[in-house]
Amino acid sequence: MRNRKRTGWHRIINGVNISAFLVVVFVGAPLYWLIASSFKTPAALGDSPPQYFPSPVSGANYSQAFVQYDFGIYFRNSLIVTLIATALVLIIGTMAGYALGRLPMRGKFTLMVTLLIISVFPEIAVIAPLYLLLRNLGWLNSYQALIVPYTAFNLPFAIWILRNYMLGIPKEMEETGRIDGAGPLRTIWTIILPMALPGVFTAGIFCFTACWTEFLMALTFNSTNNYRMIPVGIAEFGTVFTVPYGTIFAASVVAVVPIGILVFIFRKFVISGLTSGAVKG
Amino acid sequence: MTTISSAAEQAPVAEPLVGRPDVNRKRLARMGWAFTAPALIFVGAVTIFPIVYSVVLSLSNVAVTGSGFSLNGFTTSNYSLVLKNSTWHYALGFTIIYTLITVIVELALGTMIALVLQRLTGGRGVMMALLLIPWSMITVINAELWGYIYQGTYGVAEAIFTAVGLKPPAAGFLGTPTPAIISMMVADIWKTTPFVAIIVLAGLVMLPGDVYEAAEVDGSSGWSTFWRITVPLLRPTLALAVMFRVLQAFGLFDLPYVLTNGGPGTATTSLAILGYNAMFKNLDFGTGSAVATTTALLVLLGCLISLRTFRVQVGKEGN
Repeated sequence: MRNRKRTGWHRIINGVNISAFLVVVFVGAPLYWLIASSFKTPAALGDSPPQYFPSPVSGANYSQAFVQYDFGIYFRNSLIVTLIATALVLIIGTMAGYALGRLPMRGKFTLMVTLLIISVFPEIAVIAPLYLLLRNLGWLNSYQALIVPYTAFNLPFAIWILRNYMLGIPKEMEETGRIDGAGPLRTIWTIILPMALPGVFTAGIFCFTACWTEFLMALTFNSTNNYRMIPVGIAEFGTVFTVPYGTIFAASVVAVVPIGILVFIFRKFVISGLTSGAVKG
Repeated sequence: MTTISSAAEQAPVAEPLVGRPDVNRKRLARMGWAFTAPALIFVGAVTIFPIVYSVVLSLSNVAVTGSGFSLNGFTTSNYSLVLKNSTWHYALGFTIIYTLITVIVELALGTMIALVLQRLTGGRGVMMALLLIPWSMITVINAELWGYIYQGTYGVAEAIFTAVGLKPPAAGFLGTPTPAIISMMVADIWKTTPFVAIIVLAGLVMLPGDVYEAAEVDGSSGWSTFWRITVPLLRPTLALAVMFRVLQAFGLFDLPYVLTNGGPGTATTSLAILGYNAMFKNLDFGTGSAVATTTALLVLLGCLISLRTFRVQVGKEGN
């Protein structure tokens, strides 16, 4: 671009900026609509033509979501399930990623490809047997009904990401640990893990997002109010005769905020996961 | 080939500092399996066992009893029922066409956005953060949001159509099959295009700059540079992005479940919706499992076809 003539230069920059503006409108307009609608009064939500700016700005939908509906319970449930599943995935995934990345095991390649295929398997293919299994265990409507499947379904991707990071750590690092007489577990904890930390973040944020947004299993396994997850709660707000859009959008904004903050803070890791993880494996 | 080269590369890691190499290697391999075991148990119990059991269900006479379900012998009737069912034919066709159109549009739009971002001199970080919001959004929220946008009497889509002089669909955006399918695709494209854009942008950034300088010297125009240099170089990135999107889109469930409930009629009934309704609405686990298993087989077929591409990438990664 630096070789471009000056006269053309301005035109290009303008073109780029206009296109970028269009991208912002394309992505941002529906998001604006979600947020703006959540601050309209319940009556104003049905205005035709619609209110483009909420007036008056109202918090009624937010209090309704938490008081009249049990969104607080759903939020708590989603947080518990997501945090525990993510922790399990990171612990189990780091161990497996280390082994598959750095230890001499036979059949590693087959194992990695199997994991890859499992990670793209449609959930619908396992939902019925899992439902019957959980029912026999008496686990329907419990936290473990979702924690266990979420852990299993997010492990393959986490293992891939972590294994790739583990591969990149120079072997001399590990040997230093061994010379110092540290056992294998201590070497992993003090030397390998700190170096694989970006991979742990990447795997963690992907797992968190996947658990937070999952719908089919949450819908099928946990149907009672006390164990309902956010996506199911939001979907069920709408099953009554008039759809309470205000409540839905207030709840949605609350559900989008934590993940939005997390993704914003860790965006480097998300992007590295999307590119090295999702694309290459 | 990949196996051999990666095994050879792993060998130095196991190089012992004390003791005999073969003993040490065996010990490290044992440790490796011990470390992998928890992951294998989890994944095996929750994915492989159910997949096998799903196949068993789909090949059985499943009867609903008071206390649960009982399997009464082997049958292929579930499959013959499904394969002859016109709703299944429609769902299969719908899922394939929906997948093809959304993925093609997402790829084209995503590439355009990536090219814009690549040329952007400032504010790229903010743009990336904005693009990540739809990606991380709960699909149910996306569905509710677009449901409100498309709403028949007070939806903003009607207002925008009228304002620019277009005629909104007579029965509303979600009232008749074709508008409903297009409307749903728009909602999907909005949520997923940013994901494609980020992947393509990462691919663009990694392209060698000297090729472009050479092209510029040769007097290649922007358009032909794009088609003759950028696209071929990006092909591996694009191919894998497409494959992941295709496999994901094949499991389409959340969006139609909330936005259209598979309707109007069965217009937006995907394979996953059909299977779910058979199993959990009609309690027909045999037929439902047959639908689910055929869907999984199609996905698996797609995977095996693309395994060549995978192998190339995995091999590269191993280095």
